Amino acid sequence: MTAGGITAEPPVAAAPPPSGEPGRLGRYLTSAIFLAPALFMLGVWMVYPAVYTIIRSFFGETGFLGHWVGIDNYKTLFTTSTLTTAIKNNAIWVAVVPAFVTALGLIFAVLTERVRWAVAFKTVVFLPMAISAFATGVTWRIMDQQDPGLGAINALGKTISGVFSPAGVLSTASPSTSVLQSSGGALVLKTPTHPGGIALLGLTGIAPDQVPKSSAQAVTPPPKPGDIEGVVWRDFKPGGGKVGVVEKGELGLPGVTVELRNAAGKTVKTTKSKPDGSFDFSNVPAGTYHAAIGAQTFAKPFGGFAWLGPSLIVPSLLIAYIWIWAGFAMVVIGAGLASMPRDVLEAARTDGATEWQTFRRVTVPLLAPVLSVVFITMIINVLKVFDIVFALAPESEYARANVIALAMYLTAFQGGENFGVGSAIAVFLFLLVIPVLALNIRRFRRES
Amino acid sequence: MAAAAPAMELPAPRESVALKIVRAVARGPLHLVLIAIGGLWLVPTIGLFITSILPASALASKGWWQVFSHPSVATWSNYDALFHNAGLIQALKTTAYIAVGNTLVVVILGAMAGYAFAWLDFPGRDWIFVGVIGLLVVPLQMALIPMFKLYDATHLFDTWEGIALFHVAFGLPFAIFLLRNFFVGLPKDILESARIDGASEIVIFLRLILPLGLPAIASLAIFQFLWTWNDLLVALTFGQNTTPITVWIAGQLREFGTSIDIIAPASFISLVVPLCVFFAFQRYFVQGLLAGSVK
Amino acid sequence: MTRARIAVVLAAAVATALLVAGLAGARTSTPATAHQNLAVKGTITFDGIWTASSGQKQFADVIAAFNKTYPNVHVNYKPVGNNLPTVLATSVAGGHPPDMADIAQPGTVAQLAKQGKLKPITYAKSVIAANFAPAWRQLGTYSGKLYALVFKAANKSVVWYNVPAFKAAGVTPPKTFSQLLTDAKTIKASGTPAYSIGGADGWTLTDMFENIYLRTFGAAKYDALSQHKIKWTDPSVKTALTTMAKVVGDTSNVAGGTSGALQYGFNDSVTNAFGTPPKAAMVFEADFVGGVITSSTKAKAGTGFNTFTWPAITPGPDAGAVEIGGDLFVTFRDNPAIEAFVKFLATAPAAEAWAKQGGFGTGNKNVPSTIYPDAITRATEAPIGTAKSVVFDMSDEQPPAFGATTGQGEWGIFQTFLKSPSNVAGIQKQLETAAAAAYK
Repeated sequence: MTAGGITAEPPVAAAPPPSGEPGRLGRYLTSAIFLAPALFMLGVWMVYPAVYTIIRSFFGETGFLGHWVGIDNYKTLFTTSTLTTAIKNNAIWVAVVPAFVTALGLIFAVLTERVRWAVAFKTVVFLPMAISAFATGVTWRIMDQQDPGLGAINALGKTISGVFSPAGVLSTASPSTSVLQSSGGALVLKTPTHPGGIALLGLTGIAPDQVPKSSAQAVTPPPKPGDIEGVVWRDFKPGGGKVGVVEKGELGLPGVTVELRNAAGKTVKTTKSKPDGSFDFSNVPAGTYHAAIGAQTFAKPFGGFAWLGPSLIVPSLLIAYIWIWAGFAMVVIGAGLASMPRDVLEAARTDGATEWQTFRRVTVPLLAPVLSVVFITMIINVLKVFDIVFALAPESEYARANVIALAMYLTAFQGGENFGVGSAIAVFLFLLVIPVLALNIRRFRRES
Repeated sequence: MAAAAPAMELPAPRESVALKIVRAVARGPLHLVLIAIGGLWLVPTIGLFITSILPASALASKGWWQVFSHPSVATWSNYDALFHNAGLIQALKTTAYIAVGNTLVVVILGAMAGYAFAWLDFPGRDWIFVGVIGLLVVPLQMALIPMFKLYDATHLFDTWEGIALFHVAFGLPFAIFLLRNFFVGLPKDILESARIDGASEIVIFLRLILPLGLPAIASLAIFQFLWTWNDLLVALTFGQNTTPITVWIAGQLREFGTSIDIIAPASFISLVVPLCVFFAFQRYFVQGLLAGSVK
Repeated sequence: MTRARIAVVLAAAVATALLVAGLAGARTSTPATAHQNLAVKGTITFDGIWTASSGQKQFADVIAAFNKTYPNVHVNYKPVGNNLPTVLATSVAGGHPPDMADIAQPGTVAQLAKQGKLKPITYAKSVIAANFAPAWRQLGTYSGKLYALVFKAANKSVVWYNVPAFKAAGVTPPKTFSQLLTDAKTIKASGTPAYSIGGADGWTLTDMFENIYLRTFGAAKYDALSQHKIKWTDPSVKTALTTMAKVVGDTSNVAGGTSGALQYGFNDSVTNAFGTPPKAAMVFEADFVGGVITSSTKAKAGTGFNTFTWPAITPGPDAGAVEIGGDLFVTFRDNPAIEAFVKFLATAPAAEAWAKQGGFGTGNKNVPSTIYPDAITRATEAPIGTAKSVVFDMSDEQPPAFGATTGQGEWGIFQTFLKSPSNVAGIQKQLETAAAAAYK
């Protein structure tokens, strides 16, 4: 049993044809009959457009056989930064995706062989292939949303991070006056307070529905000798109101931890504000103090990873694409497993080989033709990838996530409408495949 | 036709109950792993389904998992709206013609060509084969413009046949690649003995190759059907009144505003058919067709 | 002899059948009523952007109104949706365009006219002159010939705001830009970011820039910049960009911050401002925002959302100028059926068939503002016909490679500007380089 890739198979005509069978010419005729319909269709629908595209790539914007520009279009290819980014990205895609997809497909196909509910699992993995590429792109775009309220992945992240580092009660607040200043995450009142003094800590940027239900109208407590009094309140009323002054209609903020810091900046006392926002540090020794609200009150909640932002957009695309195409690999390799002759496997097993050895020494080599189909098809698919990038990446990231097919589309069909450069990009794509094919031919020839 | 090797007589396994339990426990982690992977894999699809049963306004500020805390928000109205639209059934029919038609032709032509490249001998065979694989790279978009003039002249514009033929051509490179590589792995001796016995290539092709290659043909059919079922670009460009389901859906989307309340349910309605095709062809993935018992 | 007889009988039968069919056909064609023109016959293929959920039905009503006068002309409308530019580019390049199409960019129309793909609509000149101010005819003219009719227009000098958010902040719609900035500060203090920006769609950013430029320097200078008679490195552009930075650079006042604004598209920017709870208080975009609000959120007209005119910057006659986007109808062929349809589309009944259903604006001065179905629609659509100064969306007037390409040209450069609003000079240089290349 030979494991052929795209290698040449020894022709099967070992024995001389028995009488009555046509000779070599007859065999060529048979081959022609078998091949003619397919080659005809390929010639008309694929070879002719390919040739047309090659010729078109030497002309400019105005049209086929219009204005000759020679290799100008190709020069544009390699000098425009968006196109060079596209080429770089496609290289990443080729390096990562085909290997992952083939490996996952192989693993899934082999594992599900041994499980009775294989069809259910296969259906689950296959489903993404059945959904249109556009819908899948939209699905993942929504899943990847940075806002943890909207994007599933970040929602999960927020739940997890909420366990370890919960958000502060007033994460969106900012000071209402300049005397309250940010210092290491906390808000410190710049004006010093002495015992018998009042500290006013006014905050804005708090939405009305974020104010705790227990809050009441803010009240400035009267000064008490020996104590430091103060109030923490939402310093806003419709129209803005007077900042820094407690007015009617402005609510106190209860439950806020207020710190009293000494002149050196060290926290010496803490207390919590009451429903009307007032707080009270009693029996304070003489000295200069600064009231502050601790940093943990302003701890920002998990903001979500920017899956659709410049640094993570390419990984997000790769993940979505692998999620779709693993099913393809699994089904095709599963078919390959199904048509494997059982007797060879059983022979190996009875010879004492373990499962892993059988897998490595018998199964995989027998599957080599199928694996190469999957691998090479994925390489070519990935060189042509378009739909998922178009649908998933926000337009602000097209430059960053650009791939060759997207660049071709934007140049030829969108505002650019430069079919000349678009055709040059297509020809470049054709040329890219040649080394890929050559490499793989050589590899599988060696393996067989 | 003599069998390639005498059929192996395997001793009947003598398993004790203990051995059975050990096997089941050893399989336990495997099941768990598969369930975990399957669950994770399913999340986006479930998300899309739940999205399809939520009104668009509910999705404006909260994610689809809100349905777990407020199940009453769910509604079938998105699906209702689609079904009440007269064009949906016709669109499904048109898509069926295109998808079934082109898949049949691709399978037949691909199998014939695949067999030729695998087991027939003619000059330049391997180079032509590599050329065919190379055609895999031709992007669909670039073929549209040259084909326009051709379709105009042959009156194929705006016919489901014209669209189907386009798909046949673009499906052939993968079909030939896949089937040729499968056929190459078939046992050489069976074919040789068939030839020695005087069978013509056509008979070998119909009586041996096709049945033995069923798993490959089945998987090809699944994907060719699927890809053409979900195609938008060709149908949109070469059709005017011929409207398969993808074009129909595109014609429902809003110019501005999220159309997720159309995309999500339409996706699920649309994927029912390819899923049925998948189930139907799954049964051909049965191991043991080559257990040496072909006579 | 028998064969000959059979042949004669067959021939007679066929002839009779044809005659009967012919008579029957003649009988089933619509009987003439007053004002009807039965002589003009044919089918017109029309590729349009309006789909089942956004305008196809309303356009069908326009066609029905046309068929009242021309019952024998069949308009075959194909709803292509947002893929229209691609499909049209392909079919035009492939030599098989539809008879008529709807194009949103005058720049694209100019490009097609230059390539000789369009047929002029000079036969409609007098109808258009009777119904539109001269500026509208200019929009469809290229190289002195009339090629396009601006059938539908969208008012882009509109701001939509969240009514409860404004009330909670205690602000009222601002009339001037400086008032807007003050109000935005108050809105932020009330706990809601003021601006909802859909930066992932570059055109929302160019729209904001264009409104600022228009209101600062007036329509004449706007047109000069639009035709590249003023370069993008001009000091006026610097002023406009610096003004714009006061909005987009106020990052804590933008929903999602800069990073969020870059990921949010136009649709997200609307749902952010009008979902519950709102993530921002206002959206700077055109009249079509209303349709998005009603289809994607629960906000209701008047109580949930409302509009105000883009605030004035420089006082003067152009302080209330209107910037529009629009749909231009072009023709790729010429025959009596097409001519009849185009002429009809330029008349008031064509516009009214749609306008009375809402979501439609027109520059047709013979359409009364009473036709609009509700107050908000009237407030946003009526100014298109009545404003003294009307200019078209500048990025749409540019050559498409500069003004209408995703992620590149104007759209892409303004996204870069959103990332770093302080780099005004650098952005100006990029804009000028891209524009110069496109105008070559």
